[in-house]
Amino acid sequence: MCYDFDALLNSVEKPARYTGSEMNAQVKPFASADVTFAFCFPDTYEVAMSHLGMKILYGILNDLPYAVCERVCMPWVDMLSKMKEQNVPLCSLESRTPLKEFDIVGFTLQYEMSYTNILEMLHLGSIPVKAAQRSENDPIVVAGGPCAFNPEPLHQFIDAFMIGDGEDVIVELTDIIRDCRKNGISRRECLKKLASLRGVYVPSLYHDEYNEDGTLKSITPVEDNIPQRVLKCIVTDFENAYVPTHPPVPYVQVVFDRIMLEIMRGCTRGCRFCQAGMLYRPVRERSVDRLVEVARESVENTGYEEISLSSLSSSDYSCISQLAEKLSEELKDKRVSLSLPSLRVDKFVQDTLTHTQKVKKSSLTFAPEAGTQRLRDVINKNVTEEDLSNTLTNAFSNGWNAVKLYFMTGLPTETDEDLLGIAEMAKLAANAYYSVPKQQRVKGLRVTCSASVFVPKPFTPFQWCAQDRPEEVLRKQHMVKDAFRPLKSAAFHYHDSGVSQMEACFAVGDRRLSNVLYRAWELGCLLDGWTEQFHYDLWKQAFDDCGLSIDFYAHRVRDLDEVLPWDHIDAGISKSFLKREYEKALRAETTRDCREGCNGCGLQKLKGVCSGCE
Amino acid sequence: MRMMVVFEKGAQLRFIGHLDLMRTMQRALRRTGLPIKYSNGFNPHIRLSFAVPLSVGVIGLRELMEVPVEDCVTADEFMQRMNAVLPDCLQIRCCKAVEDTFPALMSLVAGADYRITFVKTAEGKKAAQCFSGFMNLTEYVTNRRTKSGENPCDIRPFVLAGKCEEADDGYTIELHTAALKNGMLKPALWFDSLCEYAGCAEVPHLIYRTAILAKSQNGSLIPMEEL
Repeated sequence: MCYDFDALLNSVEKPARYTGSEMNAQVKPFASADVTFAFCFPDTYEVAMSHLGMKILYGILNDLPYAVCERVCMPWVDMLSKMKEQNVPLCSLESRTPLKEFDIVGFTLQYEMSYTNILEMLHLGSIPVKAAQRSENDPIVVAGGPCAFNPEPLHQFIDAFMIGDGEDVIVELTDIIRDCRKNGISRRECLKKLASLRGVYVPSLYHDEYNEDGTLKSITPVEDNIPQRVLKCIVTDFENAYVPTHPPVPYVQVVFDRIMLEIMRGCTRGCRFCQAGMLYRPVRERSVDRLVEVARESVENTGYEEISLSSLSSSDYSCISQLAEKLSEELKDKRVSLSLPSLRVDKFVQDTLTHTQKVKKSSLTFAPEAGTQRLRDVINKNVTEEDLSNTLTNAFSNGWNAVKLYFMTGLPTETDEDLLGIAEMAKLAANAYYSVPKQQRVKGLRVTCSASVFVPKPFTPFQWCAQDRPEEVLRKQHMVKDAFRPLKSAAFHYHDSGVSQMEACFAVGDRRLSNVLYRAWELGCLLDGWTEQFHYDLWKQAFDDCGLSIDFYAHRVRDLDEVLPWDHIDAGISKSFLKREYEKALRAETTRDCREGCNGCGLQKLKGVCSGCE
Repeated sequence: MRMMVVFEKGAQLRFIGHLDLMRTMQRALRRTGLPIKYSNGFNPHIRLSFAVPLSVGVIGLRELMEVPVEDCVTADEFMQRMNAVLPDCLQIRCCKAVEDTFPALMSLVAGADYRITFVKTAEGKKAAQCFSGFMNLTEYVTNRRTKSGENPCDIRPFVLAGKCEEADDGYTIELHTAALKNGMLKPALWFDSLCEYAGCAEVPHLIYRTAILAKSQNGSLIPMEEL
């Protein structure tokens, strides 16, 4: 038990996020378990409890009779300082067990700017932050999630990474660690066994070398029997894969406080900036019947009043209308509302829902990503102005009056004309609104455009691209802001260039960045994803102190033949496909949705994985 | 028909706020599948109401809420089905069906009983020793924080009776309090005032609301569920 923990709660903000005891929280006997897993989310409780992946893996592990899985979240700054002041270790939500007493400590890597939190959580949990300093009795520290596809910036801190879909590999890994602990097998031997699993990367078993110009020369295994490349895990039977139908239901309001029905995994569109679209291939759908069944079960087990559909592109689900119809039929007597993807606010869905559902009229969101058709062709975002105009006109005549449009600045080949196109898109939305007769539309149009800064991501066709330098980012942001000035009902928001720059460094960085991360943490960087907690000057100092250049990582165009820090990770898609896509992008040529025909992304080499390419 | 429900909000849940508790109860009710009456209108919801909100940080041993239900639901069934879906630290202790003509619980609130426990540190002892002296005061004006800012408030008249007992592991204060025109006593404010009066630093403590009181026919204050 964490003795003094309770005493701290009287004097911190939102204490209820530290107390657990939710409906459906799994409190299993800790001491008698064969193996214990601390599922750590390196951000606050409100963010953690909105994450579907955690609910899935928490459920899978706790369904094992011999295992216990408990949740651990990053405390907020006020709690952190109290814990340090009183020497209270970081504990799990369920049994309040200190982190270091678990067999396995697992982090999910959703966002580069949460990396410092991992170091802090290990430290608060009395676990040596650097893997090399851990003793036989310390937990094995593992990590997975989308950012694990470039694990190198974290290689000093994580013992083993899980690459790809976690459902199966997390059980295999847990079993091996259980057996090793039971039989007194050493840490190093245990890690070697883990490295033999598909999808597991043990960084201490690989060695990196560099060229004179600072680029990577190679990353190779230090021993035989260790795979040259680590192939990601893929859940092939998605229909029957585990669905968390009885997740813990938080008391406090979290970011996504509803049932998230994962209708499909993967995306066939092939937007060239989108890492998720590449990593989660191939696309896999669940059947309507199965989804209705798990929706029913979830409502019964949680009492949630709202269901949303979760996937990378829900409007592409092949039976979306049928699903909407059957779900609303199932839910109407239970008074549960259903949120549908914005793109499908068409006549059919309207009719289905009018009498039964409360359709939220506030959440109409589209992501054209770029302001001109040329640039949308470059990024392969196949949305046309006509599509958007039609959909918006339809929505405005059905009672909506607010729309959010998402864009990116700094995309490859972008010109000032493309940027001014963002304001043109806002005008297009306004015109769609005013094209609806006055008596048919709701008063008070609001068009909100937000622009993030392009961040090159591993395993995308833009992985070789440079990010704009901060001064260029600012110039562009101000130019667009100015273009919005005459627009009455439209607003333009943009992201901080400093955060995006650090995100870029850590997204495409190599092993040497783990020193920067460590240094930044020493300097006090924490919770960097929260604007008010981000200190650019400290990050800059960390780079300087380590003798590394931000420019080299974030603002350099990479040679197509350069060895990339993630080349030893196999995401299923081939480098030649990515190169092909990159070259097409530079020519502003689009690539079809792969449901219309295989584009040869590389998954075809894995037999029986992608139904589209057989 | 309405169900008058007595429930316990345990120590683990003492930091859950009023609205969060309301949402939790609504979700639990939805899970039971019991025939609950929903409000009419665009956004039908369960018209659940609590007799009086519990301050964040206070444990509630006999809290009260009412839920409109269809006539076919029995008290036993209601309690059983709710307890099956509620966590251990939030359980229904008893409930009874009342007619729609029964006044709203909120309108019956006339006071509350509190228990405050604290340990025998030097500071704790000092607070316990000053209890009698504090109770003998005829007034004690302190600043009460309300929506309109800090206002001076005499907290003495709220307390009708009180006692302080010593056990091996600490002290227990029991307070019998009444609701007045300007609201109800905040027990944390009362305890802080005791400590201030005793001249002691912060004393770690736990506060329980042990009953919500209503006026009986003879005018005395009794637990509302005993009406």
